[in-house]
Amino acid sequence: MAESEAEWELCKENIQPLRRGRAISALHQALQQQEGSSTALNQQKQAYETELRMYDGDDPLDVWDRYIKWTEQNYPQGGKESSLTILLERAVMKFTEEKKYHNDARYVDLWIRFAEGCLEPLDVYCYMQAQGIGTMQASFYIAWSEEYEKRGNSRMADSIFQDGLKCGAEPLDKLQQFHKALQARVCRQMMAAVVDKEKVDDEPQEPQRISLVELKAKGKKKAAVPINRVAGSIGFARGLQCTQPLGPVKNSRLMIYDENKEHFDPQEPKVESWMAPPSAKAKENEQRPDKWTNAKLPQKSRFGHTVVVPPPKPNFQPFVEESDQPPAVTPCKINPAVNTVLSARKPRREEQTPLKRLQERQHHMQLQQEDESKSGEKSMYCKELLFSGATEFSFEELRTERYRQKCIQRLEAGRSGRNSQEHSQSS
Amino acid sequence: RQGAAAGAEMTGSNEFKLNQGPDDSISAVKFSPTTSQFLLVSSWDSTVRLYDVGGNSMRMKYQHLAPVLDCAFYDPTHAWSGGLDNQLKMHDLNTDQDTIVGTHDAPIRCVEYCPEVNVMVTGSWDMSVRLWDPRTPCNAGTFTQPEKVYTLSVAGDRLIVGTAGRRVLVWDLRNMGYVQQRRESSLKYQTRCIRAFPNKQGYVLSSIEGRVAVEYLDPSLEVQKKKYAFKCHRLKENGIELVYPVNAISFHSIHNTFATGGSDGFVNIWDPFNKKRLCQFHRYPTSIASLAFSNDGSLLAIASSYMQEQGDISHPADAIYIRQVTDAETKPK
Repeated sequence: MAESEAEWELCKENIQPLRRGRAISALHQALQQQEGSSTALNQQKQAYETELRMYDGDDPLDVWDRYIKWTEQNYPQGGKESSLTILLERAVMKFTEEKKYHNDARYVDLWIRFAEGCLEPLDVYCYMQAQGIGTMQASFYIAWSEEYEKRGNSRMADSIFQDGLKCGAEPLDKLQQFHKALQARVCRQMMAAVVDKEKVDDEPQEPQRISLVELKAKGKKKAAVPINRVAGSIGFARGLQCTQPLGPVKNSRLMIYDENKEHFDPQEPKVESWMAPPSAKAKENEQRPDKWTNAKLPQKSRFGHTVVVPPPKPNFQPFVEESDQPPAVTPCKINPAVNTVLSARKPRREEQTPLKRLQERQHHMQLQQEDESKSGEKSMYCKELLFSGATEFSFEELRTERYRQKCIQRLEAGRSGRNSQEHSQSS
Repeated sequence: RQGAAAGAEMTGSNEFKLNQGPDDSISAVKFSPTTSQFLLVSSWDSTVRLYDVGGNSMRMKYQHLAPVLDCAFYDPTHAWSGGLDNQLKMHDLNTDQDTIVGTHDAPIRCVEYCPEVNVMVTGSWDMSVRLWDPRTPCNAGTFTQPEKVYTLSVAGDRLIVGTAGRRVLVWDLRNMGYVQQRRESSLKYQTRCIRAFPNKQGYVLSSIEGRVAVEYLDPSLEVQKKKYAFKCHRLKENGIELVYPVNAISFHSIHNTFATGGSDGFVNIWDPFNKKRLCQFHRYPTSIASLAFSNDGSLLAIASSYMQEQGDISHPADAIYIRQVTDAETKPK
């Protein structure tokens, strides 16, 4: 036991945190399986995949929910082989039409996890609201608000909670509790900012170094390290206890929310202006790009006098795609796998965000029936069943499951038949 | 042969239905490597049967614990087979003796023999390919694939594996230390079948949505330019194109032409060099599940057997047809 505990200690940086935590047993198992073969894992996955397809009860979401939870627990690193993102996307899309699930806590939870994996979670939350998914669930508002808070827009974060309260989302006390916590956090930040400002006003404005920020949450006396740095190399600090912008860098775009100055429109959250400027992450030793073209080396011609080189054309070779002019390839037997000719993978369209796909799909579904009756093609097999999970199935796999179910039925029938026989004999 | 076939149900002047067919769907038909007299048939009724084609009779059958998904001849007297019971069986056709050679962790989907390297190859849904030494017989290595194996084929000493997720892997059976080529299917939909050219230059891949691709193994640009794909096994009905899976491919060993069978019940023969269809036979009662040319290319075994593509519904009876093919039907013009 001690050994295995040590084991997960060793690779914990590869374990993705989960909101609901991880079962230690599943973690041990998952980590052990990484080294050996993952046969058991694959078998379980296949079992879930079959269940997805063969389920004929009235709560299909249950299978998805269990499958996704199982995946989270058993693929602690996340990553492609877990296919968690695909699963979430499929699960979420599958039930967009099912009104009965729209305020099901499990379904909303899937949506939130899906949103968290997206590039633009806010869009997803807006979409959910428009579709009426999760509008009665406190967790939806909490997640949405947290997203705004993460971006520093505590004003919107607050208004989301207001919306939730207005709609009467359940459970109410949870919503209120989180709302209060948000307000408390915002207050504390405001206070800290104010105190900091005062303190900074007192202090002489010398360049000071804040590495990794947040030495103290409440801005008391800070460990000021007086280091003289070259003007160009000073970054600026982030965070709410930010001191004045130092040196020549002007970060006038970084502003602290002041509720007394209600001048910006709540309809267009200026998240971008918050996100962009401090991207340098207070890097140390970063060199500012200085003017280097000044440092000129006088070029001398063969005849000994300086020549002024006209600069209109770049004197470097412009980069040309290799595919445009195939170089003479020496036949190489060592690793033909590297050859790009064989991978017919087309460049993916980058603008295809999950949300867009979602909207497209809905649009597509509407058109599909008209489409099929028009010039369309019709696939003569159960396409839905083959491709509904995270991995595809073949006819044979589906049939195998049908065969197994029949075997079980026959067995049970046989058993009950025998039981009744024994029963009649004994009586 | 004529006399023997007289007692059989003739379904054409050059075609007859095999007697004593399996009780359930047919998963594979394979001709003996040395004679067109013997045909091996695996089935969902958990049996593997050996037919005397000339005599139109069943010579032998043996059982698995569960449906059998594929079978192959090692030599004229040894049959290998695997299926849902995860077991790989070797059957001595002379003595009618069973040997369980080994197992996979999931059902075995394909069984092939590679004469160049003298090794049996199995592919399974457990995402692995295993090699077996047929002489001992014993396991000679397990090679992990990125996905469930759906089909495989041997081209000389190379092994072409088609998996779920439309991946194609080319292995060198003499050096299984690394994957020689990793490819993606050039077709958009699930891979149903891969068969290598008898001339070992390339392979043909069929997909679940009425399409077939002709591919070449040589990765050089020049050769790769020659690859192509085409639509087939589609029927027009009331202005809608019905697209059927292409389940089976078999190469004519001499002419390098190939036959494809689809769920539309049709068998087509293609000339890959001139990109032409050589002929199409009449429509069979139900889906074509498997096809096999005999070693000399004179006969084509056609398994017409519903594969539950559209669910577990009632369907025409499963049957195996033996068709005599002529040069006119199989030779490039």
